[in-house]
Amino acid sequence: MKTEDLIAALSADATPGAAPEGGLPWMLAALALAGGVFYAAFGLRADPMAALAPFTLPKTLLPLALGALALALAFRAARPGQSAGPLPALMLAVPAVAAATALLRLVQTDPAGWAMQATGKTMVPCLVTIPLLALLPLAALLGALRRGAPLSPARAGLAAGLAAGGLAATLYSLHCTEDSPLFWALWYSTGIAISGALGAVAGHRVLRW
Amino acid sequence: MNRQTADQDWDALMRAAMAGDARAYARFLHAVTPVLRGVVRARGAALGAAGCEDIVQEVLLAIHLKRHTWRTKDPIRPWLYAITRHKVTDAFRARGARLTVRVEDFADILVAPPDPDPTEARDIDRMIALLDPRAADIVRGIGQNGDTIAQTGLRLGLTEGAVRVALHRALKRLADLRERHMT
Repeated sequence: MKTEDLIAALSADATPGAAPEGGLPWMLAALALAGGVFYAAFGLRADPMAALAPFTLPKTLLPLALGALALALAFRAARPGQSAGPLPALMLAVPAVAAATALLRLVQTDPAGWAMQATGKTMVPCLVTIPLLALLPLAALLGALRRGAPLSPARAGLAAGLAAGGLAATLYSLHCTEDSPLFWALWYSTGIAISGALGAVAGHRVLRW
Repeated sequence: MNRQTADQDWDALMRAAMAGDARAYARFLHAVTPVLRGVVRARGAALGAAGCEDIVQEVLLAIHLKRHTWRTKDPIRPWLYAITRHKVTDAFRARGARLTVRVEDFADILVAPPDPDPTEARDIDRMIALLDPRAADIVRGIGQNGDTIAQTGLRLGLTEGAVRVALHRALKRLADLRERHMT
């Protein structure tokens, strides 16, 4: 077939695809579903007011910020010619703030208690639950990004994984009673990173075009 | 025509195309094709004219299927060049792998008679042959015979809507087939 003929066939097809952002409601619905099932089974923390304490509030707000930034970055990555702008730098600021909070806590408390604060009682549930909660929203987000044209499928997948992981950690933080920054700075970050890695691997496979 | 005017032309043509103007869309594709061909030939002289045209068509198909990722308020060139660079790089990588891994394909290329028309490509016909017969018929009818959607509908006893959907799916499938067969 000549290029001329291909152009004739292409211009007869007046149906442009759907924008990747159109998949956002599905991602949020998947997140709500995952959160709903999780809360129904394991409940919110019994002392919700404690979540507002100065060293505890960031464990909800920081993952939320990271999730929102990564979500914006993922959708940008799906559109060729769009620059990432300040988003990656802002995302890096999130673990920096978490580390600073943890350091502040370190200098304020007795070294004898550091190890106990850091490992807590729920390290394994935390590390398992955050990536699990992220799984369904991640799948929905990758589905949305497939409508896009990411120049680096793995990087777009990484952003998607961090978005799903960050938002999943936000949900998890309202259940979790481990309020020491030593705990959440370490293990929430690891949980989100696992989700990010999953996203990168999956993105490399499913976001090619 | 200076660069500034050409830019505005391409932007305006593609904006009209996105708003549903098929003629503007055809003009846009005709205008960018020589540029794409230049980019591909500069890198892939060793592939020969038809081999290069395969890649040009691959890029055109990608532009077509991903055009909704261009925001109509942006200039088209950065988007267009990003898509082109990505697909051309991809295509050369895929061909490199194929030539080294699958010797039978290489032999196939060597025995193929040289094509007199430099805009005639080979890959797309192989991919069209892999479509289901009706989808292949629709693509060939509209592309090569110049049928309209309405004529195709009458010929095949389909509504215009059904022809549009079938054409869109066929083009998408062509891109998927390329992706699978070239890598």
